[in-house]
Amino acid sequence: MKKLVMLCMLFTSIISAQETNTVSGIIKDINNGETVFGASVYLKGTTIGVMSNEYGFYSITAPKGTYSLVISYLGYSDMIQEIELKENQKIDFEITEASMQLDEIVISSGETEMVNIRKPQMSVSKVNVATIKKMPVVLGEVDIIKSIQMLPGVTNNGEASSGFNVRGGAVDQNLVLLDEAIIYNTSHLLGFFSVFNADAIKDVKLYKGGIPARFGGRVSSVLDVRQKDGNNKNFKLTGGIGLISSRLAVEGPVFKDKGSFLLAGRSSYAHLFMKLAEENDNSAQFYDLNLKTNYNINENNKLFLSGYFGRDSFDMAGGFESSYGNLSGNLRWNHIFNDKLFSNVSLIYSKYDYDLSIDAFEFDWVSSITNYNVKYDLKYYASDAFKLDFGANAIYYEFDPGAINPTTESSPINSLQLDLKKAFESGLYINAEHKLTDKLTAQYGLRYSNFSRLGGQSLVDYADNKPVVFNETLGIYEAGTAIGETEFENDEKIITFNNLEPRVSLSYQLNESSSFKAGYSKTAQYVHLLSNTQSVTPLDVWTPSGKFIKPQLSDQYALGYFRNFKDRLYSFEVEAYYKTVDNRIDYIDGSNLIGNNTIETEILNGESRGYGLEFLLRKNEGKFTGWLAYTYSKSEQRTLGGSAGGPGINDGAWYKSNHDRTHDISLTGSYAFNDKWTFGSNLVFQTGRPVTYPTGEYQYEDVRIASYSERNSDRLPTYHRLDISATYTPNRRPEKQWKGEWVFGINNVYNRKNAASISFGQNRETGANEATRTSIFGIVPSVSYNFKF
Amino acid sequence: MKTYYKNIALLLTIILTSCTDVIDVEVQVAAPRLVIEASIDWEKGTLGNEQTIKLSTSTPYFDSDEISIVTGASVKVTNDNDGTEFVFLDQNNGNYTVSNFIPEINQSYTLEVIYEGETYNAHENMMSVVDIDAIYQTTEKGFDNEVLEINADFNDPIEEENYYLFKLKRQNDLLPILLDISDEFTNGNLTTVFYEREKDEDINQEEFVVGDIVDVEFYGISEQYYNYIGLLIVQYESLGDPFSTTPVPLKGNCTNTTSPENYAFGYFRLSQVVKDSYTFE
Repeated sequence: MKKLVMLCMLFTSIISAQETNTVSGIIKDINNGETVFGASVYLKGTTIGVMSNEYGFYSITAPKGTYSLVISYLGYSDMIQEIELKENQKIDFEITEASMQLDEIVISSGETEMVNIRKPQMSVSKVNVATIKKMPVVLGEVDIIKSIQMLPGVTNNGEASSGFNVRGGAVDQNLVLLDEAIIYNTSHLLGFFSVFNADAIKDVKLYKGGIPARFGGRVSSVLDVRQKDGNNKNFKLTGGIGLISSRLAVEGPVFKDKGSFLLAGRSSYAHLFMKLAEENDNSAQFYDLNLKTNYNINENNKLFLSGYFGRDSFDMAGGFESSYGNLSGNLRWNHIFNDKLFSNVSLIYSKYDYDLSIDAFEFDWVSSITNYNVKYDLKYYASDAFKLDFGANAIYYEFDPGAINPTTESSPINSLQLDLKKAFESGLYINAEHKLTDKLTAQYGLRYSNFSRLGGQSLVDYADNKPVVFNETLGIYEAGTAIGETEFENDEKIITFNNLEPRVSLSYQLNESSSFKAGYSKTAQYVHLLSNTQSVTPLDVWTPSGKFIKPQLSDQYALGYFRNFKDRLYSFEVEAYYKTVDNRIDYIDGSNLIGNNTIETEILNGESRGYGLEFLLRKNEGKFTGWLAYTYSKSEQRTLGGSAGGPGINDGAWYKSNHDRTHDISLTGSYAFNDKWTFGSNLVFQTGRPVTYPTGEYQYEDVRIASYSERNSDRLPTYHRLDISATYTPNRRPEKQWKGEWVFGINNVYNRKNAASISFGQNRETGANEATRTSIFGIVPSVSYNFKF
Repeated sequence: MKTYYKNIALLLTIILTSCTDVIDVEVQVAAPRLVIEASIDWEKGTLGNEQTIKLSTSTPYFDSDEISIVTGASVKVTNDNDGTEFVFLDQNNGNYTVSNFIPEINQSYTLEVIYEGETYNAHENMMSVVDIDAIYQTTEKGFDNEVLEINADFNDPIEEENYYLFKLKRQNDLLPILLDISDEFTNGNLTTVFYEREKDEDINQEEFVVGDIVDVEFYGISEQYYNYIGLLIVQYESLGDPFSTTPVPLKGNCTNTTSPENYAFGYFRLSQVVKDSYTFE
């Protein structure tokens, strides 16, 4: 760390030639005192400006003089203050939400959701929770994960699949952070809902590429979700009653107005879904709790505590119970060293566990992943032209891939604990945002990451060091021959990996309203989700890199053109990317991952690549706002035999990855008709996902067996869907505290039977082969009531 | 564990399959392959001298209801120890039979099929099987405590890894149920296999009722065959859910020594088998 600080001092000494002063402070919302992330703060008539950080902090350095300081943020009125910069000064701002009472609704906008043409950061989308709440959603549940799927380059594997896919990447390649804590499963009820309660969320930022150096550990994207701090001016109650679940959040000032808190809960109604059918004792349920509190020690020191606990449970009467969920906690300390140096320390814990009990087979199964994370991040606002981020983080992981235990005296199951795995991941980074000329700005950084697989377990040794071998005679991959075991002591490291991850991007401003950007980033990923199914499931187990599983390494190149029109009423962006991932795990034919202590005998290290072209046109202001996104992309993978011999998986040929989508069009819009009615709509049209259909059949053991050839050489039918919603806000007197609104929605208006999957099998009654389509949501109407008090 | 996993996936799927329908789908058609169903089954307590091997070719997935039988092939099985050859005779209906086969437990055998100038080969060992200790009916086991199921108990030998195949068929049903079992998690224990039927109107299936007769066949199988039949069963029972694994080409042990890429479907297995049947009371 010392080295980093020295390095940053070095930079500043080079740059501070002109006599300058700094203005810094915190930007907050006047209504609730929430700090504002991503507000743009700039000196009018100059190119000097900055975005407020995650904690609302900004710092601007400029030559002495008189300026108009402008603060602009989407959905809020611009704020302008004349300042005379002759000494360093501290000014906090409280900005006001744009008035919604006028007939003519003008939604002013900052640079947050619009294109910021000057900043080199590309491939990033920030979505405001207010925007998300206006989008129509299934069963009236506001869903952050489904909302981001409306952005170009973001898809998922269908209606009942967990997680999301970014630029053809896999679900486990996304780093999902809730107040910096890693969330391992983003879905409730197998993908029907997301784990994020929109009432507790402040904002959501998705990096699809050009991932800043301060993030590490995943190769595809970062979804940075921040919880609200809680209203520090008044006690507020917000809530909603829907068809599926209800929510309630309470927030208010605490510690004699030196802090605030937020407590939000959400629960689905028990016996959901299943009870619809008669004679059915099955149930599925989820709930979650969000907590956040903060304490202002003084103007330079602030503490935050946040937590999340979410759980799903399934109960099939007749012998199957399952529950799973995320648990996380984070203690943070913001410290402002001076008007140019901001710091934050975080201590983070997070855990995901999966429990299952099957009465019929008389056993239960428990698995989990736990991590402890320490982060120290600093930002140095050296000058208008130069800003530096640097910091370090360290994560300790414990993986419990599974324990199986009998649940009855008569159970035939023997107790089994799979080997616990431990690992340590650390990272150091430094990143500069550097305005080279008035037109050219660069962001360049480096992340150094280190991963050690720790001892305290034994590993199987294989003949010729090959856990998987190619059986030349049969033409199949099978487990290698175990020849012994090596025991690793607790203080021993099994293997260590180091990677340097450079991240560079450039922005060249063509004129006032358009720019070109280009970027390159290298990322490394050390933990992997083992999943050989077409969609990930809550049962899938995370595993660390180690002797047999190498870290995934990705290179991504991106090029973009960004433009604002008509005084920023519209913005347009187009980006092209190409990316490769080395050491992507692939599974041999017939692999068996559950309850398997020697996963290495089921996998080979492969590679993947993808490219795409993304268009996004947004309308930022006016009665109608929304966007149209189109993505053309390809994502494929290949796994050669390597040291295992043989041609590789799928005969060593490239094949489409499960999340390859050639075309993906999303249109989302919101229309404020008057002060009572707002309408929203989503239209999605995308190429069906790759699947493998049979290419023949034959009779064997009295049944008809389908034969398959190449992987993923067919596709499900095209997926398309239209959703609409209407929000009705009853006339209310301004002095009344209670504010309510009704949200009506229809999901899949024209009742398209989109195939979640198509399976092939023999009809047990007729013996004929048939294809069976499973579709999840037909037309689904919904209504919910939301209130604020 | 595979078996359990399949069932978990099945249960998760129940939640999702709110809407399924049978649709028309166009599928690609691969060139036909030879199918060798060489199941040398030696029922305990019999001589095991009468054996049949079936040959056919694969057909397009939807087009045909007829099995495309193969005649004119030459089929023989050789005892690898003493070289005794058993030549199977073409019955001109896709079946090739022999009546002087001599099965020996743990003995390795070689299959040779010559068809259209190409030679197919396979090697396997004859596997033994333990006895079924008891077959009985209950309601409280299985997934649904109000529904009848049939149970079969057997004692897994502790000193070795064992693999089994159950074939269960209610008489008058068109198709059997296949169940692959390994002792990975149950080694050395008294193990119970149950078969419960759900009501399913789509395929006209009822729960078990008094008077139903179920035929039970219990095979000892090799690890290699377990891997093969396990994958075959998973893909056969393709559950129609997004949680199923990506289907893959299923390769048995019948290799083509003339042109290796023309491997045959099917498998050459040799198993001791216990057969029994149970009538619900």
